[in-house]
Parts: sequence; C-alpha cells; structure tokens
Amino acid sequence: MHGSQYKVLNRSINIFSGFGQTTKSSFRFPGHNTNKMSSPSKATTIPHVVKEEVIASGKWLKLEKTTYVDPVGTTRIWETTKRTTRQTGAADGVGIIALLKRTLHKDCVVMVKQFRPPMDCCTLEFPAGLIDEGESAETAALRELKEETGYKGEVVGVTPVTCLDPGLSNCTTQIVMVNINGDDMENTDPTQQLGDGEFVDVLLIPLDEFQKKIDDLMKKEKIVVDSKVYIYGMGMSQAFFKPNELRVLKQ
Amino acid sequence: MSEFEESGIGEECGVFGCVAAGEWPTQLEVAQVLTLGLVALQHRGQESAGIVTSNGVNPPTYNTLKGMGLVNNAFPPEDLLKMRSCNLGIGHTRYSTTGISELQNCQPFVVDTLHGKIAVAHNGELVNAAALRRKVMRHGVGLSTSSDSELITQLLALTPPMEEVDAPDWVARIKNLMHETPTSYSLLVMYTDVIYAVRDPYGNRPLSIGRLVPVSKLHSLLSVAGEGDTEGWVVSSESCSFQSIGAKYYREVMPGEIVQISKHGIKSLSIVPRPEGDLPAFCIFEYVYFARPDSIFEGQMVYTVRQQCGRQLAIEAPTEADVVSTVPESATPAALGYAQQSGLPYVEVLCKNRYVGRTFIQPNTRLRQLGVAKKFGALTDNFAGKRVVLVDDSIVRGNTISPIIKLLKEAGATEVHIRVASPPIRFPCYMGINIPTKEELIANRPEFKDIAGYIGATSVQYLSVEGLVSAVQGGIPSIQKGERISTKPSRRVGHCTACLTGKYPVELEW
Repeated sequence: MHGSQYKVLNRSINIFSGFGQTTKSSFRFPGHNTNKMSSPSKATTIPHVVKEEVIASGKWLKLEKTTYVDPVGTTRIWETTKRTTRQTGAADGVGIIALLKRTLHKDCVVMVKQFRPPMDCCTLEFPAGLIDEGESAETAALRELKEETGYKGEVVGVTPVTCLDPGLSNCTTQIVMVNINGDDMENTDPTQQLGDGEFVDVLLIPLDEFQKKIDDLMKKEKIVVDSKVYIYGMGMSQAFFKPNELRVLKQ
Repeated sequence: MSEFEESGIGEECGVFGCVAAGEWPTQLEVAQVLTLGLVALQHRGQESAGIVTSNGVNPPTYNTLKGMGLVNNAFPPEDLLKMRSCNLGIGHTRYSTTGISELQNCQPFVVDTLHGKIAVAHNGELVNAAALRRKVMRHGVGLSTSSDSELITQLLALTPPMEEVDAPDWVARIKNLMHETPTSYSLLVMYTDVIYAVRDPYGNRPLSIGRLVPVSKLHSLLSVAGEGDTEGWVVSSESCSFQSIGAKYYREVMPGEIVQISKHGIKSLSIVPRPEGDLPAFCIFEYVYFARPDSIFEGQMVYTVRQQCGRQLAIEAPTEADVVSTVPESATPAALGYAQQSGLPYVEVLCKNRYVGRTFIQPNTRLRQLGVAKKFGALTDNFAGKRVVLVDDSIVRGNTISPIIKLLKEAGATEVHIRVASPPIRFPCYMGINIPTKEELIANRPEFKDIAGYIGATSVQYLSVEGLVSAVQGGIPSIQKGERISTKPSRRVGHCTACLTGKYPVELEW
C-alpha cells in the first residue's frame, strides 16, 4: 500500500518517510476509530511493524505484543499469535485439495473430519499439515495426504503463499492441488498412518454438487465447515451452474 | 456372415442395466456405465438407443434419454451430463422390426402403474403377441405402438388378483406375465430402486449378470475382489460388455428366473418352470452368428463353440484342397477350427471394406452388378492357382456368397469349395430373428438341389443339425459332467433349432 495513494491536501508531506520513523500530523485519531469511514486522505506512512515482544510462549504457539505504525502515522499495538514451528521455507503449512479419480466414478474431493479443541466440535476441512524442515510445499502435501488419508497422490498445482487468519496470526499456507489415481492398487484400500492423538475420519465428497453435499452433511451432523472448503464449494456451484449470465436477456 | 450382415437379419435387440451398490447417492457414474454397456452391445442393434435412469428414492425421478443411430450419436454429451444424479438405470439398443423407426418406439418404455412408474427394456418377440394384444385391449387398455415391448409393459401394469392396495407384488405381476406368454423375452424391469431381470422359461434370449469391482482388482491375481469390493451390479444381454466397464462375470439368469438386483445385491426370487418335459430352447443362432465371440453362454465362450463347429464341419465334410479361409469376420473361428481339424493351412483370401454395407454405404444393384464399390477385395497372392475351402457361417439367400466366389475365381482360385458352419435355414423364426419368408430361403427353393452350381462354387456342404448341436452342447460344463439327462429342471440343456428343423419350442397360436 503506497502512501501516494492517499489524497494529499495543502500540506507539505514527506511521503517517503521510510521505515522506523513516524511522521507527525495534526490529525490524530485516538485508538481504533472504526466508525469514521471518511476518506483516508491524510495518510502519509506505509504501515509497518516497529517492535515485537513475546508475551507468552508454548510448545506450538506464542503470543506477541506487536507495535506498529498505522497508515496515518499513529503508533498502535496489536495482539498477535504465531506458530513456533515455521521453517525457513515459504509457508507454515499446506492445505491439500486432493481429487480422487476412478474410472466410471465421479471425481471426489478427499476431506477430513476431526475434533478440533479450539472449536470444541468437529470440523470438515481439507487435509492439511505443517511443512517440516527441508520440505517443499509439494513434498509436505503428499506426505500429509498419505499420513492423514492413506492416499498416494501427484501434485498438479500449488498456490502462492496465502494468509489464513491475518487479524489473529501470521500463519500462512499454500494450497496444493493433487490428483489421486484411484484405479491404482495402492489407492484401492488406503490405510491411514496417523500419529499419536490424531483421530481423523476420511470423507469422499463428489465434486458434482459439492456445495449441496456439504450442506447435507451439515444438516446431518454437528460440524463446522472450514471456510476454505465452503468457499470452494460455492465457487464450484457458480462455475458449473451459473455460467456468465447476460442479465439483460434473462427470461 | 456376409448375408446376415447385408440384410440385417443378424441384428436384434440388446438390453443392459446397472444398479450402484453401497451408499446412495452413489459415486458411480451410472449413466456412463449404461452408455458403455450399450456400446458393447452395439452389434445387437444400431437403429436406436435409449436409457432410463432412476434416483432410487420414493417417489423416484426417472430421466430418459433416447436417440436414433449408434450410441455415440444417439446420446449427446450435454444430455448425459444432466443424468448424473442417478443410482440405477436400464438401457436398450434396437434394430427395427417395423419399417418406420420412430423415437417413440424406442425402448426402454416408461409407464405409470398403480404403485408408481416402471421402465421396461425387452429383447425378443412374444410368440403369441397377436392374441395377447387382443386380450389386453379387451381389458380396456389402449396400445399406442405396434411393438410387443409395449404389450409387456401394459401386462405388468395389470393388477394381479391377490395384490394388496399399497404393497406392489412385482414377483406376482411378472409371474402373471410369464404365464400369459411362454417366450421369447429377456426383460429388465426397473421400479424405483430395484431392477428385476427376467428370462422366459425357455431361456430363448440370453441374459447375464456381472459385478462391478475396482479397476485394480478386475484382473489382479494379487488382489482378489471380495464381497466388500462390489461397486455395483450390471445385467446384460451378453457378457462381452462386462470387461469394458470393469465388471466381473457373475452368472447367467436361468431360464424362467426372476432376479432382483438392488444396492444390497442379487436375489433370486423365483424360477417359473416349463411345462412338464419341455427342454430349454436357447436360440442356437446366438452361438452361430449373433453374439459377439467373447460372450459367455452356458459356461462356454461363443468363440470356442464356433471353432468347434468348424472342426465338426471338417469331420463331416472334408475336402481335397490346398488352403482354408474365411469370409471375414464372423466365420473366422469356424474357419480356423476347420483348418485345425483338416490339417490344411489357414490363409486370408478376402480383404473387407467395413465402410460398405448395410450400416454405411449401400451401393445400388446396378453398381453392385458392375462390380463397383465392392465390399471385398481379393488377397490374390495367398491363393492364386490353389484350391480354396471358404468357410462361411451361414447361407440364407445365396446373394452375397456368389459375388465372393466369382471374385476369388477371377483372382486365380482354381477351385472354390464352400463349407457352411451351420445347417441350412428352412423355417421362419417367431422369436425375434427377422429371417426372410420361407419362399426366399435358398434351402426351400428348387435351386438348392444344385446349390453349388447356383452360386458358382465347386462344391457346397453344410454342417448337419446333429453336428451343430453336438458342437454347441459338447462344451457345456454340466454336459461334460455327464448330466445330460439331469433331474434338476434348472440344469437341463436344450437349444431352439426351429429355423433349422421346424420344431418350435412352443405351439404357436395364430
């Protein structure tokens, strides 16, 4: 986000104040002023983090106090969670959209259902896992898929690094697209290789009417669906059943 | 072959059905399985194709797709896509019995009954259709087509006497139909979430069941497909369709049997017996010509039977000659059998243009007389200056074999001996094979006395009826075990040879 985007009024402004310096302006908005939706025309700074202090740290996560400068130059605090496991690679973890392809069968997305303590209920998610040291996203994806579901797949694509819940944490993920040859003998009776304390149910949901099947599942069981999954389903519905409609000619 | 293919006698109907196993809605692409199953039965009918699928719930939604021509032309891909939410279905390929081929005559038929819709696919021809039509219409039922398949559908819709108001008794309804008409029919009746596979008590037309298993377990010796691997059940006029859809051959539907096929599996509901003493009457021409060589009937492969016919023919009608050959392609197994038995070398003498003939380009009579747009070319190098034994699977009118003999002679064959791997056809068929009228059959004409002279061959010999029957029955497992005169009615063996002998399996009413 470049400072020059903001409308500059008759005021001499040093747009390129650089990092680490706060540019004073007579317009100071106290605290989080989320009500005023007026033009951010007084912005002069590129927002950035100034200081990070660890408040608490556990085995997997840590809580930090993040001091940052907002777009108008005000210094603020943000509470941030981070994983302690991030490797030097690109993202914290991978999510896997795996398509099981079998002759004369509908293509099915491999989903996992498990109890998630933070949610205190079961969730429906894409198989996922953290990237280990020295692993690429693709390698991590195939490994996690094999462990969680028993399927052996082939990578056909990978997304750039994307953020998961940026208001809460710095966690990132790369979604890896995988195809599974369901006709292969090793994928006919897949066996999971779960770790201690992992209890994962594997579900196969046909790509055909994906969103509808997710909705049906939600009615049947008490689960919360991961947002990536639901958005994927909505995208499928849009793509297959609502091709570009010419509103003007709609009957 | 040649003659059957030219005149279209060789085509009849094919039926195919599929039920997905396990949980519904299924992940099996049922509509695609039906389509591929019909493609494998394309040799049984090229006039039109149709499928009806059901979503398997109560009350069900049936979807129909029908079209003229070959399966891949009859079913546009965008229409097949609309049929993706089905769990079972039946299909049919048809050759026209009447002159007009209209889409409404295409099967499967869907009809509303007291208990809901049924869909019916039928292979065969009811021997008492005329009398049955009158009976049905006397009941107040109107018929909108001339096909007896519609007749069957209407008969199934009649309420049997003991049936309860809210509980359909399909076994009783089907049994009622089977008592009204003895032969010939192989039927698939779809109702909501099951398919009933029915074969007439004489077993005149074929019907087999297959089991869909994962592709990796289809052929593997390492990983055997257990009961839990069943992905679905299929039923087909011929087992040749099973390989191409990933199904393992399971068993035949026995003559007179009503089999229920559901997501839970196969269940034999009843076997309707024949009148006392009557043997089954499986159409022997399925072995001779109609079926695909890789289909299995009565535990034996059609190809093997044809080869055995060729051997038997060599025993009955040996020839002093130099080479043995075939009229491509259906006579090839018999020709190979003849060569093996006689010790004569097998060569190819004819090259076939498969784009000329009934289904494709049909040259008019004049062009044919001029020798233009020929179906066959001569592989001269293989037989010039030699005496040729040419094996064909049947001669009906004698029209198609004569030009072939002429072709071979002109190309240098010194002698052309025709050996026919089936007996002469003398009588009409009322069970669904469209054989020419009695007068047209060469075996009934005075020319038959000197058939060789009539068609221009050096000699002509047919396989005897006894020879054909022994070639067919010799390979049947129960026969091999010495159970020829079995006490169990379901194990007895018998074939319909009416067109050869005039002995019909049932008394025909006019």
